[in-house]
Amino acid sequence: MDLTAAGKSFPPYEFHVERGKIREFADAIEDANPIYRDLDYAKGSLVGGIPAPPTLLRTFLYEPRAAVEALKVKDWSYIVHGEQEFEYLAPVLAGDVLSAQDQIISITEKESRRAGKLQIAVIETTFRNQRGDKVQIARRTLVETGKRISE
Amino acid sequence: MPTSPSFETIEVGSAPQPLVCGPLTRTQFVRYAGASHDFNPNHHDEVYAQANGNKTVFGMGMLAGGYCARQLTDWLGDGALQRLRIRFASRFWPDDVLTCTARVTAKRSEGGVNLVDCEFSAKNQNGEVIVSGDATAALPKQKG
Repeated sequence: MDLTAAGKSFPPYEFHVERGKIREFADAIEDANPIYRDLDYAKGSLVGGIPAPPTLLRTFLYEPRAAVEALKVKDWSYIVHGEQEFEYLAPVLAGDVLSAQDQIISITEKESRRAGKLQIAVIETTFRNQRGDKVQIARRTLVETGKRISE
Repeated sequence: MPTSPSFETIEVGSAPQPLVCGPLTRTQFVRYAGASHDFNPNHHDEVYAQANGNKTVFGMGMLAGGYCARQLTDWLGDGALQRLRIRFASRFWPDDVLTCTARVTAKRSEGGVNLVDCEFSAKNQNGEVIVSGDATAALPKQKG
């Protein structure tokens, strides 16, 4: 990885939180909760609308490539997704239009007996809704291992 | 949906019913790929996965993490989560059965908000940890 990429921020990108996508995602994790499907039920709940399931916003982070490309990884088969964290600051509901901004918050190095020299990058994404409210922060930890990890 | 616990009734050590997922199929991996946009071919392309040294395709860590998050929202209520962290420990494969468990590790009040800290994991049929993590949820006070 390029250690000098630490601290870099990237241009924000926009996406729509669609009701159909929420349902498709709930189906994929076999979550039968009516709050993801029934608008009347969702409106009557404390949340007040059809919410994004807790891990949904990770799915919007596969396409924007600027932050991961800035890491200048030579061979992605040496990269593992170590950790994924979310902070929930305000509800994200179907119909919201979110703006997401990525920042590489750190790149650190560590020795591992099993996997050789590790480089650990943390990319933080801050999500704001159409009213400008900060609604969620996602942090993904990508680890470049010195050896290819296989069974 | 079962009623969520209140801050008064939940205790350190409280736990939901285990959530059993599987035996998992390649079709479930493909469905999650479509829903999540995770098109890493190791998760859906047998030829590619084997050429990369894997015995077959393997499931997405975020799919196992999604099962864990679903257990937490079923247990603690929609909109209760304040924070969720998932650590990816090991891979899982078609025909694996994942069992998600969770428990309360602490209760505290901060700025008038009643919080519970939890730990959770998903293990395979051999008891190996596939993902683990911790979460914080805000719980309502008992009504009345």
